[in-house]
Amino acid sequence: MTAARNGAQQESKKRSIHPRQIPPVYITVALLFVVGLVFYLGNPNFITPYNLNTIISFSAILLMVALGQMCTILVGGIDLSVGGLVSFISVAFIVLIKPIGYLAYPACIIAGVLAGYINGFILTRVKIPSFIATLGTGGILTSLAYLVSPRPVNLAPDLYGVVDIVNGSLLKASNVLLIGLVVLAFFLVILRFTATGRNIFYIGSNIRMSWMSGINIVKTRTIAFMLSGLGAALVGITISSVRFGGDPVVGTSYVLNSIAAVVVGGTALTGGTGGVINTVFGSLFMSMMDNGMTVVGLDQYLQQAILGVMVIIGVTLTFDREKTPIVK
Amino acid sequence: MSDANNRRGGPVLALRQITKEFPGVVALDKVNLTIGRNELIGLVGENGAGKSVLMKIMIGLIPPDGGTISLHGQPVTLRSPGDAIRNGIGMVFQEGSLVPNLSVMENLFLCHEAGFRRLGILSLRSMRAAARELLAQLKLGIDVDLPVAEISPAERQMVEIARLLWLTKLYGHDNPVLILDEPTTVLADKERETLFTILREIKSRASIVLISHRLQEILENCDRIVVLKDGKNVTEMASSDARLQKIEQLMVGHSFSTDRFHEDEQRRRGEKEILRVENLGKAGQFQPLSFSVGEGEIVGLVGLVGSGKEEVCKCLAGLEKADSGSIFLDGKRLPAGSPRGSVRAGIGHIPIDRRSEGLALMMNVAENVNLLVLNRLKAGGFLSPGREKKNARHWVEECQIKTPSISTLCANLSGGNQQKTVISKWLSSRVRLLILDHPTRGVDVGAKDEIYKLMRKLAREGIGMLVMCDTLEEDIGLANRMLIMKDGRLVQEIGSAPKTKPDPKDIISLIV
Repeated sequence: MTAARNGAQQESKKRSIHPRQIPPVYITVALLFVVGLVFYLGNPNFITPYNLNTIISFSAILLMVALGQMCTILVGGIDLSVGGLVSFISVAFIVLIKPIGYLAYPACIIAGVLAGYINGFILTRVKIPSFIATLGTGGILTSLAYLVSPRPVNLAPDLYGVVDIVNGSLLKASNVLLIGLVVLAFFLVILRFTATGRNIFYIGSNIRMSWMSGINIVKTRTIAFMLSGLGAALVGITISSVRFGGDPVVGTSYVLNSIAAVVVGGTALTGGTGGVINTVFGSLFMSMMDNGMTVVGLDQYLQQAILGVMVIIGVTLTFDREKTPIVK
Repeated sequence: MSDANNRRGGPVLALRQITKEFPGVVALDKVNLTIGRNELIGLVGENGAGKSVLMKIMIGLIPPDGGTISLHGQPVTLRSPGDAIRNGIGMVFQEGSLVPNLSVMENLFLCHEAGFRRLGILSLRSMRAAARELLAQLKLGIDVDLPVAEISPAERQMVEIARLLWLTKLYGHDNPVLILDEPTTVLADKERETLFTILREIKSRASIVLISHRLQEILENCDRIVVLKDGKNVTEMASSDARLQKIEQLMVGHSFSTDRFHEDEQRRRGEKEILRVENLGKAGQFQPLSFSVGEGEIVGLVGLVGSGKEEVCKCLAGLEKADSGSIFLDGKRLPAGSPRGSVRAGIGHIPIDRRSEGLALMMNVAENVNLLVLNRLKAGGFLSPGREKKNARHWVEECQIKTPSISTLCANLSGGNQQKTVISKWLSSRVRLLILDHPTRGVDVGAKDEIYKLMRKLAREGIGMLVMCDTLEEDIGLANRMLIMKDGRLVQEIGSAPKTKPDPKDIISLIV
């Protein structure tokens, strides 16, 4: 009995220490280098300026939607509608260029933010969990995308000038990368240097305490979903511009990839902990996996499985399970 | 097992020298408790005396640090409530442990339905018959198919008792030990009588440990009374020898050490009235009541759990909406039922459960301290890291929060320092009235003293405080004035000026 008691005592001691020796973001960076090295050994062409540029451009696009996704995850929610929204914006943008030209940009951005607002409204006012709410709106948006154009739609060559904003390059860097950096800076400022951004963390950390302290929960959570809508809209615009055409299924992969990028970066699905820098590395990791597997010539049908395994390994390493006794 | 049960005469359950320490507090210090066959024991003591911890050890919820538990003379180790049940020890919890959406019958046999299996399928008919018989033994006529949510609190308790009796019998115990944690607080007078009639009946085949704050009912119904104070056995006596006053005295003790609560620093109520409550009422919780809190005044809200004092505070903080009446802060009427409105008006709330209601544990000290004042820490429209650090450092020093740095996670602070972080969060927002819900709960002696000092300092700065304390001593020591609540009514107001502090005994008789 004494032995059992001592055991119990030791156990309780162990539990009372909160381990946080290695911040998750370092682990993601280490993971990035290890996996990068494996790809390099598989095919030295993996590390060429051209290929690295491809990876970074890809990750810049993923980053935009992942940063918005991160905001909804930080407030303790999730946005499953980003896929439908990217698809919808992708076709709507191309279709709108003909009648309204450059105004298609603000129109699509507003539409994205509005979709986010509706998600936020359903969550905070109708009080339906965001998982279900955005599953529903995601379906609606997917349908809308098909209704706008059931097949991929190409931009008329005489209108290519409109998408030069995205396709051009400034200061030797592609504009896609620059847009990604601007979006990154925007989210960084919102989350680090505004009260709303801080409130996103407070709510994710402890929503009851936040309510009791007078934080405007409805407003803050709604803004988080609007930010997600903004990110998805920007991705829809960017993809269509790069391809000179819209596609009603182009967004599908962004639901899981954005969530994976956020979580591999070390942001907890339970909300409250994580951040912009984490998601930058998470997006880089996801894009590198995508690209690397093709470069080393991995069987295309096997790639999804490997990606799935890597996401699970990545989250195992970065997610601090000690802090979350119950995993949903 | 049946061998042990057959050993008559000796105590059923004996706890010897039980010790339990939590970081900074000795919850139990060599406590003994002996439970004989067919005995009804009353366990009394103030909040924080260690009753609940002792009970939790008896049902295997927490392991003791030292001491032995023996059942029919054999030492046992109880690792879980399931373990305890198999050894014939069960508890009826204050908050109840039934599943509300399942029927009475399903609750009675929950997780132990195996005996009703016929060809692999549960026989509802035999379950129903067994349930009826079981309840009939307790002279209960509840419909066994009703969901538990639809029966009264008294009936729910009976169902729990019936379940424990059945379970312990299933494991072959003819004299189980039943522990009842304040079963009567939620009951009306008549239901209370019924409960005790049934308990006296059950006594013929069980031992019962009853925790209650209502000393009168303990005196009338129990065979023996055990008094705990500050985690120690004070005394025990047969009920026939006991007198109410004597027990009250023993519970509270005389050890008012010299000025534990810094009474010499107690300020007189200032001229200005900060809080005025007029005819505030909430159906089913508390009757309309009126009171005020002045500048620099500490007002103690005293009463049992269920007296309505918590609900009054929740209405003030905007967490609940009162049905009638109004609240004025600095003469301005407060919007009802809006925490945001209360916070903006200048009401701060130190919740009882700081971990789940007071802090963002996974965020650092600075982020927690600055929560309410982000708008003041801006420069050019954006949060200024410099100002944030400055504000956090100022309050860490002011409230003497012991932390390695302002970027330490709150989860890694001790209970006392977490509490000081919560307090400093409200102080930095220049609060006018502070509601302190058990501010020293789970806090060690040293930190307690610092919190008392902090409260005196706030009073000097003119902040009004409404406090609910862990012990009556603390209420009396800290308060300028006490409002006594009982069964949802404000029954009396008692002055508590330094040097003429009231006697706890007089107050206990008012609240019980």
